[in-house]
Amino acid sequence: MTDIAFAPLSRPASHKGLFDAEPLFAAAGMLIGLSLAPTLVAMALDQRQFLGENVWLKPVKFQIALSLYLLTLAFFARWLPAGLTAQRSYRLYSATVVFAVIAELAWISGAAMFGIASHFNVGTPVMQGIYSLMGLFAVLLTSATLVHGIAIRRNSRTGLPPALHLAIWLGLVLTFALTLVVAGTMASLPGHLVGTPVSGATVPIMGWSREVGDVRAPHFFATHAMHALPLAGLLATALLPQRMASRAVWVFAILFTILVTASFAGSMAGLPLIPEF
Amino acid sequence: MNPDTLFQLSGPLAMAGWLALAASPLAPRLTQLAAGLVIPVILSLGYTALILANWSSAEGGFNSLAEVMLLFTNPAVALAGWLHYLAFDLFVGAWEVRTARRTGFPHLLVLPCLVLTFLFGPIGLLVFLGLRLVHGRFATQTAGGLA
Repeated sequence: MTDIAFAPLSRPASHKGLFDAEPLFAAAGMLIGLSLAPTLVAMALDQRQFLGENVWLKPVKFQIALSLYLLTLAFFARWLPAGLTAQRSYRLYSATVVFAVIAELAWISGAAMFGIASHFNVGTPVMQGIYSLMGLFAVLLTSATLVHGIAIRRNSRTGLPPALHLAIWLGLVLTFALTLVVAGTMASLPGHLVGTPVSGATVPIMGWSREVGDVRAPHFFATHAMHALPLAGLLATALLPQRMASRAVWVFAILFTILVTASFAGSMAGLPLIPEF
Repeated sequence: MNPDTLFQLSGPLAMAGWLALAASPLAPRLTQLAAGLVIPVILSLGYTALILANWSSAEGGFNSLAEVMLLFTNPAVALAGWLHYLAFDLFVGAWEVRTARRTGFPHLLVLPCLVLTFLFGPIGLLVFLGLRLVHGRFATQTAGGLA
């Protein structure tokens, strides 16, 4: 009976696109994106606050971030070596990654629902255990960028211009390496702020403090290497001759790493990324 | 937004779905899309958001009748329960119209079932199921036992 209601929404089986190379990541990314709808309505209805912000803002941010993360991986997955995603070991791994993503979201949303902290909550042994488990899951889900990055690097038949190929795998590997350092350090701190804010001024949308160090800013840059580098690779391929383009990607990667390192060092020293004027 | 405002919005929305179903022979696909999918999805989103936002603070539960009654003394949870009715009743109504159309059950006979489903959900469903059962037998007999 529902097949009639949903029939107009189903795609023809021959449609080629985001869902072909990594259907699990694509479907999970889409579903998490769709889950924004009830969460946004809940945010509009719910006046409860946590640390000065609506309790639902954090689930919304994580839903956007993790949906974008999975959809990006699904998009790049078309350049994985042929046959890799069909292997049993790979399917087991990717299912584990999706499980980790969903577990993170379920925990963050559940904490919001009950108005408690989902991160840095080590008040009781149970919460400490959950927080450690969430850290493990976070590393597990981030590791997908390393796995995809290495696999795409090894694939000599992507048909991509060399600079773009380089930018994609390097961006993925950098996302893993930089995020692991920045987010790993952040998890070992008592909170994401270094210092005590007075007025509570923050950067719009992102919510980073404009008074004290906020490690979420370098975390944001580190994790977006998977978007920034491919964009730089696209630009370099379009504007420069082949050999120059690959060099330009390497230079951009180094500069990007310096940007992450500098903003990380600044936040750890208690300095805001965008100070108050 | 407070529960009263949402309640006032939810009524006309569901009503639009029921009117579409009543007029469904005019545009079967469009009315199925509206009453069988879009409006139930909007109502279900509202339900989900209300439960997410209010469940943890609401008293009561599902374990005893007294707990259920206590649960529905919370205006937001009561509104969620109301949206539950609206969404599921409309979804069932759309199913009735769809099933009737597929099996050649006359729309004029579906209309009273729709009214009952709208007002008293399960009663409308019972009447529809009963009518369909009788209609099936009757149709088989008039077809000369071939079907």
